[in-house]
Amino acid sequence: MSSSPTKKTFVVTRFDPDQDEHPRTDTYEIPVREDWKVLDALNYIKDEVDPTLSHRWSCRMAVCGSCGMQVNGEPKLTCKTALAEYGDTVVVAPLANFPVVRDLVVEMEAFMEKFKAVKPWMIHAKERAAEEGTYLQSPAELQAFKQFSMCINCMLCYAACPVVANEPSFLGPAAVALGHRYNQDSRDDGDAERNEVFREDGGVFACSYANECSEVCPKNVDPAAAVQQAKLLNVLDWAKSFVVPRGGKS
Amino acid sequence: MLKLEPVIWGLFGAGMMVGVLLFPAWLLVGTLAVPLGIAPAEALSHERALALAGSLPGRVLLAAAIALPLWAGAHHLRHLAIDFGGIARDALVGSLCYAVALAGTVLAVVAVVRL
Amino acid sequence: MSTARARIDSMRPSRPGPTRTAPPAMPDQFWTQGRYRGYVAFGACGFFLLTVGGLLLRAVWVLGNGDPAAWQALLESWANPIYVVFHAVSLLALVWFGLRFFRVFPKTQPPKIGPFPRPPDAFFAVALNGAFLAATALGVALLWGVLA
Repeated sequence: MSSSPTKKTFVVTRFDPDQDEHPRTDTYEIPVREDWKVLDALNYIKDEVDPTLSHRWSCRMAVCGSCGMQVNGEPKLTCKTALAEYGDTVVVAPLANFPVVRDLVVEMEAFMEKFKAVKPWMIHAKERAAEEGTYLQSPAELQAFKQFSMCINCMLCYAACPVVANEPSFLGPAAVALGHRYNQDSRDDGDAERNEVFREDGGVFACSYANECSEVCPKNVDPAAAVQQAKLLNVLDWAKSFVVPRGGKS
Repeated sequence: MLKLEPVIWGLFGAGMMVGVLLFPAWLLVGTLAVPLGIAPAEALSHERALALAGSLPGRVLLAAAIALPLWAGAHHLRHLAIDFGGIARDALVGSLCYAVALAGTVLAVVAVVRL
Repeated sequence: MSTARARIDSMRPSRPGPTRTAPPAMPDQFWTQGRYRGYVAFGACGFFLLTVGGLLLRAVWVLGNGDPAAWQALLESWANPIYVVFHAVSLLALVWFGLRFFRVFPKTQPPKIGPFPRPPDAFFAVALNGAFLAATALGVALLWGVLA
């Protein structure tokens, strides 16, 4: 028996910079299927009710990270969030802590800048000649960073973090987790460089371990663990920098 | 203060551990059981207390038990102040919090030395 | 719904985009709802760390004054109901604080520090809670006069 439609009400944030002084809400009552996700409802609204609604989405299967929004106050991937979890009224808003470009679309450029700041690429002390072959990595070495490489850049963690809300310079959970991912990678030699970035204003020590980032992460990356681990390793690296002189590389 | 963040965080971590391990016993006996007469008063007579505290391990433990949790408390309150009041005043509020911890640390060392 | 505002420049890019943006909203449940309550309570225990440390400092100072009567008077002053309530609340708060600290501690340790791998979470649970129980039992026994 296929699922039969009932109705739910969606209170959706709207904002058109050319027409609206401030964000406002529009309310839509639409038929929904019991197996729908929030994204299905938004797409229905756009397709059948109000084509002016703007929202980001792509893969529909929680791997692209595009569809993050506040659903009844919690940051969620709308493609992964079942309507069955909610009652008759669902409130959909753009991700918290981000400037709003239009409707449910947020400005993510600052997120990209923070990413670049942690140097998320392999840094080698010495480039390896092709004749030397590939890098070998044991399963244990892979386990040291694999979890932190699973981030899909959905920014839910930034929407949940109270420090992101209060400190514009804070790198944020995903960026630190990514930097930590590289620091933990046995093929990478860039620990010292990244740890200096981590010690700057808005670095890892700005985190107050609210753990909200890990609570909302849809991929179990556990960025809070990454940040706390990064703090400890940073203290050790900082202490080591007094004892062992750094090479000329900056 | 930025340069000292690794040190402060280290003191904060140690302070939480030391505070959690040492304060409950002190609170239970020193501040509750003895004053309320549940524990014998002789247990913390001036003579015995001075003997315990004035021993070398006693002095070291007491200095650590006072100083380190002060850094943990200061650090927690500083971050709470940022959460509630924003980052703009952190230079002032944070410095104040750590100044209290520093003063307490100095006094703790003096206090155990003069026992 | 939170009434707190995020900073107007939270997650603001270094160069403005082509259109005007609306200011960021604060996380909805901050700071008095849901999981944030535990987080704020944990941070607020910093107050107890400061005050208990401060009172212990005062006690050691009075002890060092070399006046047995003053020391006795200090101990007796703590029988005052206000002190009793404060110390009892401090004790409960710090035990709660400690148990929460131990619970969140294992994942803060890196998978490896130098050549040493991280032990399993169960090890931390046993070691930390065990250390707490042992330290408290030893401390109580020592202060109560049962030991030494």
